[in-house]
Amino acid sequence: MNTAVPSSSDGKKDAGPRQPKKGSLRPSHWPFIIPALVVVGGVIVFPWIFTLWMSVNGWQIGVEQHFVGLTNYQRLLTDARFIDSMGRTLSYTALSVIAPLFLGTLAALIFNTKLPGRGILRGIFVMPMMATPVAIALVWTMMFHPQLGILNYLLSLVGIGPQEWVFHPATVIPSLVLVETWQWTPLVMLIVLGGLASLPAEPYESASLDGASGWQKFRFITFPMIIPFLLIATMIRTIDALKSFDIIYAITQGGPGTASETINLYLYSVAFTYYDVGYGSAIAVVFFILIIALSLLLIYLRQRTSWLLGDA
Amino acid sequence: MSLAKIFRKLGLVFAVFLIVSPALLFFIWMVSLSVKFEIDNGAYPPILIPEHFAWKNYTSVFESNNFLLYFKNSIIVTGAATLFGLIVGVPAGYGIARMNAQKSAIIIMIARMTPGLSFLIPLFLIFKGLDMLGTLWPQIIIHLVVTVPIVIWIMIGYFETTPIELEEAAMIDGANRWQIFMKVAMPIAKPGIVVSFILSVIFSWNNFVFGVVLASRETRTLPVAIYNMLSFEQVSWGPLAAAALIVTLPVLILTVAAQRQIVAGLTAGAVKGG
Amino acid sequence: MAAVQIADVRKTFGTTHVIRGVDVDIEDGEFVILVGPSGCGKSTLLRMIAGLESITSGEIRIGNRVVNDVPPKDRDIAMVFQNYALYPHMNVADNMAFSLKLKNAPKSEIETRINRAATILGLTELLDRYPRQLSGGQRQRVAMGRAIVRDPQVFLFDEPLSNLDAKLRVSMRAEIKDLHQRLKTTTVYVTHDQIEAMTMAEKIVVMHDGIVEQIGAPLELYDHPANLFVACFIGSPSMNVLKGRVELGEFITAGGVRLPLEKTPPSALGKPAVYGVRPEHLKLSADGVPGKVLVIEPTGSETQVVVEVDGQPITCLLRERVAIQRGDTISVRADPALVHLFDAETGKRLTD
Ligand SMILES: Nc1ncnc2c1ncn2[C@@H]1O[C@H](COP(=O)(O)OP(=O)(O)O)[C@@H](O)[C@H]1O
Ligand SMILES: [Mg+2]
Repeated sequence: MNTAVPSSSDGKKDAGPRQPKKGSLRPSHWPFIIPALVVVGGVIVFPWIFTLWMSVNGWQIGVEQHFVGLTNYQRLLTDARFIDSMGRTLSYTALSVIAPLFLGTLAALIFNTKLPGRGILRGIFVMPMMATPVAIALVWTMMFHPQLGILNYLLSLVGIGPQEWVFHPATVIPSLVLVETWQWTPLVMLIVLGGLASLPAEPYESASLDGASGWQKFRFITFPMIIPFLLIATMIRTIDALKSFDIIYAITQGGPGTASETINLYLYSVAFTYYDVGYGSAIAVVFFILIIALSLLLIYLRQRTSWLLGDA
Repeated sequence: MSLAKIFRKLGLVFAVFLIVSPALLFFIWMVSLSVKFEIDNGAYPPILIPEHFAWKNYTSVFESNNFLLYFKNSIIVTGAATLFGLIVGVPAGYGIARMNAQKSAIIIMIARMTPGLSFLIPLFLIFKGLDMLGTLWPQIIIHLVVTVPIVIWIMIGYFETTPIELEEAAMIDGANRWQIFMKVAMPIAKPGIVVSFILSVIFSWNNFVFGVVLASRETRTLPVAIYNMLSFEQVSWGPLAAAALIVTLPVLILTVAAQRQIVAGLTAGAVKGG
Repeated sequence: MAAVQIADVRKTFGTTHVIRGVDVDIEDGEFVILVGPSGCGKSTLLRMIAGLESITSGEIRIGNRVVNDVPPKDRDIAMVFQNYALYPHMNVADNMAFSLKLKNAPKSEIETRINRAATILGLTELLDRYPRQLSGGQRQRVAMGRAIVRDPQVFLFDEPLSNLDAKLRVSMRAEIKDLHQRLKTTTVYVTHDQIEAMTMAEKIVVMHDGIVEQIGAPLELYDHPANLFVACFIGSPSMNVLKGRVELGEFITAGGVRLPLEKTPPSALGKPAVYGVRPEHLKLSADGVPGKVLVIEPTGSETQVVVEVDGQPITCLLRERVAIQRGDTISVRADPALVHLFDAETGKRLTD
């Protein structure tokens, strides 16, 4: 944009030396960006770099900091608690992606019809994702209560015996996934709804003329065309589920025992309960790489399918 | 034909009820919990609407626990972080859109992917080193991690769609770049500013993890404060639910009142975020 | 008011050469139209005059001042955009006042100027409206009002009428012309519509592929096109062309049809050439060239007949009403004095 343009040298009438051009006459837009660059550099980029540097240091609060190379990373390989938390994170994430994706798509199909009061209903539907997570977690905790909770009462109405929900190691992860699903299905719904709104009408009209049933229209027209949006939803959901913290921390703090301790919770304990900052940073780096790797995989999948929608 | 139509309509209404009910019933139950005495909250089978309402659950929230102080903290942190986010983010979104530097926004995407704790560890050490932990500054600053990316992301989208001819016309009319921005580009992008304001208020208000680490007893924000009520003080459910409702009510009202803008912002952000 | 001189101006976007050496002299107070097919670089050239695009090489002067490095706001020009570019958040009066307010003009002066422009353009009733409350024609007028209030040295128009419907376009054409007669401000006007150019311009600049093909008064271009491109671009229906070669006193088409010439340019003798004749210069005549009638389109005032000559469709515009039918064979003859000859290779005009 600012390339200096060489002046033509084909000897025109005015012989005076041409001063080199200053470039575009349009004002530069850099001044608009610089404040944000400073802020982003300070609170986003700098922490990334600092974390990386801390991860190769032995650094505990109160103890002299010193370079230790990859020791922290080696320690991760043999840290059973870390490896367990990794497995838990992955299963928690898988469930927390699949369930909202399925329910959110279903909800989007329903919201894509002409409904009276669609705006208000949609407003109510998105409330779980906008509400303060800790406040939500508090109420869920009461609802999960084995004796006094409403959930066990509801189960008893359909003849199912009382559960221990988040108070038992075997059921804690599915129970938290239930909260996560309740909370984040709306986001999937919005993304898919955006996709549905962008679909052209013609294929449906010609399919109707060809005598396609509702299911066939979904299977052969709608579904292929919203795949890019489903992939976006999958990606966002994957990132958010991996990072999930508030709900888990507020409801179980990783318990009972360590039964719901995901990487993020373990990271919290290491960094802010044991104040082992160096080791915590190493966990953060590995965690970050895990998130980026999964995201890249999904971006790759999305690019392979982007032809489906032109350039979505 | 018409009978089939009626059945389809009924089916649809039922389906809508089914998908909205988890959200609706949850919040109804939350309200119910918050207006019941302990005895009703412990009743089996559960009671939805009690005979006697425990309004004192609400008054006791305000009376105890420094609740007003925490409310003020929340407003200061969210307000300052949002204001600063807009001041920095709106011009940045403009600059990025006009310089066609959309690729640079990838930093913001990566920031979106980064777990909040990885920002916390280094910044915590810095704030501690600077001896700032007793003040609200650390939280205001770290909330920029939430607000600045939201604002930049949404504003890029809005400025991209405002026609460049308007700015060229202003340029010919004699406006310099600041006047173009202040008098032409910004007024036209006002809806985008509203959307980014709403979303950054909500996400900053809701933030929990930064406060948990950075807040001292005097500098807690509301999410941290109600979490502490749950874990450290054996309070009965009524006041707890009332406190939870008070904390999240501003956000819920904003959500329903501005659902159109929120949906627009989230969809744009999300879809572009891919 | 000021003259505008464009001297050997070039523009490249990356590696594409969009303007490839353009020289145009625009006199003080003149109404000049840049015309050419879409994508030939008209807008780019206009935007370089405005200062919205930098000049890769060459020089643009406005009123004897080289403006290459002068930002748009200091060039003392006003521009009307194709889609009007009205500020949507300002009403009509504020749209027009914007440039004056930026200059900190006194309130009373702003008001007088707006009222004057509004009166000229018939906008007085609309001053409080917002752009979205106006019709296309009204928006167009506001855009012009915004230009007028500034009383600039030069008006620049970029296809200002192309978003209007056909009828409005014709009346706005007259209005803009009338406005120029009144204000006498130097005007550079871009259009791809040759009829607009012919009807409005004092001087036409025909552009093609980033170069100027010909500059001249409308009828000069019509009667003496400098090359085949101008010949075919100007005029509707467009000029008939036949390929062949020039012999003494006649032109022989590729298919062997002989057409009489008034003069034989000596340099063209025996060379491949292109024969051009405008549709209205063809007449029914027994001693003409026979051809089969392909299409007949009577419009009332005249009749357009397409005949096949030498295997090619040739359009004739006849003033008289004729009793012929599709499939008939008729003889047409061109007035040899009104025939154009062009070099087959370079496309340059051969006669004169
Ligand atoms: N900013 C630009 N970057 C690259 N190419 C451009 C740019 N602006 C115009 N062009 C190209 O320059 C050529 C001329 O454009 P333009 O001046 O708009 O044509 P016209 O107005 O005669 O239709 C076109 O081929 C167009 O694609
Ligand atoms: Mg153009």
